[in-house]
Amino acid sequence: MAATEKITLAYISENAVLLEWPEKICPIQHQQIIYFQQQIQISLANVLIDTVASYASLIIYYHFDKISWAQLNNELMKLIKHLPSISAITNTEIVEIPVYYGRDIGWDLEFVAQKTSLSIEQVIDYHSQTTYHAYALGFTPGFCYLASLPKSLQMPRRSSPRLSVPHGSVAIAEQQTAVYPISSPAGWHIIGQTPIKMFSLKNDINKSLPNKNEFSTLMTVGQQIQFQPISREHFLDLGGQIIEEKTS
Amino acid sequence: MNFLNIFKMKGQCSIQDLGRLHSQHLGFSASGAADEYAFLSANQMLGNERNNAALEIIFGELSVVSHNNCTIAITGANCFATINGKKVEHWQTHQLNTGDVLSLSTPKYGLISYLAIANGIKSKPWLDSRSQTLNEQKLGFNGETIRVGSKLYFNDQPSQPPNINHSKQLSPENFYQAAPLTLRFIPQLLWQQLSTEQQTVFQQHYTISANSNRMGYRLSQSPQSILVHLPPGSRLSKPVPYGTIQIPENGEPIILMKERQTIGGYPVLGTVIQTDLFRLSQRRPGEKVQLRVTTLVHAQQQLNAFHQRFKP
Repeated sequence: MAATEKITLAYISENAVLLEWPEKICPIQHQQIIYFQQQIQISLANVLIDTVASYASLIIYYHFDKISWAQLNNELMKLIKHLPSISAITNTEIVEIPVYYGRDIGWDLEFVAQKTSLSIEQVIDYHSQTTYHAYALGFTPGFCYLASLPKSLQMPRRSSPRLSVPHGSVAIAEQQTAVYPISSPAGWHIIGQTPIKMFSLKNDINKSLPNKNEFSTLMTVGQQIQFQPISREHFLDLGGQIIEEKTS
Repeated sequence: MNFLNIFKMKGQCSIQDLGRLHSQHLGFSASGAADEYAFLSANQMLGNERNNAALEIIFGELSVVSHNNCTIAITGANCFATINGKKVEHWQTHQLNTGDVLSLSTPKYGLISYLAIANGIKSKPWLDSRSQTLNEQKLGFNGETIRVGSKLYFNDQPSQPPNINHSKQLSPENFYQAAPLTLRFIPQLLWQQLSTEQQTVFQQHYTISANSNRMGYRLSQSPQSILVHLPPGSRLSKPVPYGTIQIPENGEPIILMKERQTIGGYPVLGTVIQTDLFRLSQRRPGEKVQLRVTTLVHAQQQLNAFHQRFKP
């Protein structure tokens, strides 16, 4: 895709420029965004604070006292001009995530089946037979936005969010699916749970070493993700815990 | 190790420095001191590094007993500090000796006060920062939530009293404006797409809502206000910088503060300039604010001048 001329740049804050690609959830376009992010991390390293990618956008936080926005703009335009066309997914690494899709733990499984006029088995098949693309990290530490859900599973988020869901909850909403890495409020529909952790801490957190790489996520932006259905027994073997919804 | 022991506390207290500026790509909120003016002033008075951690006290009462000798500074909202029951000056440094009791009361004006210690508070760092974030507190990444019984650790104190550059002495009354606060913002595309009438609606006087916190400030409009129907636009979540003005369906702006999420999906009007965000963080629910357009160049000049004051 050679649509680099469609990238818009907006200097939205004292130290941030937002780059926007055409508004769509597209793994090929997103791969170009990630490629671009890697390029600027190399060529603009000395003026960068951080960069954050999302579905069709990328923000660059920079030291505005080290480079003017006009100079930065020049540098970015040069890089954009040399962005290669991408026509296929080259990142073929697939991260597999085991999921127990049980009615006891998939709090909204029956509701989703009802709303989508599918059987529970079909919901599980559709969800687990799709390969997803990781578009963004955000919301809570390790929360990774995955898309796109098959059309037949797409439905609006819950009308009122739950105050708390267990860590590992696998959820869907609109075109997206995700795993809640920690127990948190949740507006998406819960269809299962994974026993594995979404992030790890490399060092013992009690050691007070200031190290940026202490935290790593299971999924990183740009990767391909697939969910593997597992049995209740396998889920428990892997350390999963059955937490049923408290009905008040 | 040396420490101050908290034996009485109300309100919300947390350890803050300038935040985790390099970890937003992992989904971590930048966090950091809400009012950089008061925070940096405290460090400057003590001859500290800019990024030394201090205690941020939001509308609280606090009493600590000092287990060692140390030099402290108190800045931000005036919290009527006393040492052993005797009134002491605000925006000043003070000496605490072993056994001394420092007490802070709820401020009459403003919201946030800082208690800084020479050489900074020592706590468990996380992502190159000591800033604590409410949403992550239960994960225990950077130490326990500050409560009665918590200890504020510090290193051995400098043998020389801090050398304060008096030519750069601060005049906080010049920084914090009289009410109502004008929030200058850098407009985004959505602003340009609005009619003049619609733009006028967003420049009304808003009231700060009680649902405001370190993550975001919600603004309420008067019930008579017109609801602006925004033109259709991007609805996919995008990265959101400090000061982002989100417009949810009810038309009432949310201004994203230090503990904001890294990406967000609401339509965005623009970005409030950082120097005005520091001022906003001291404003209470019920107070009035107004939005006004400015330019990127002006915003950068303001922030640059702000940083110049705190250059060593």
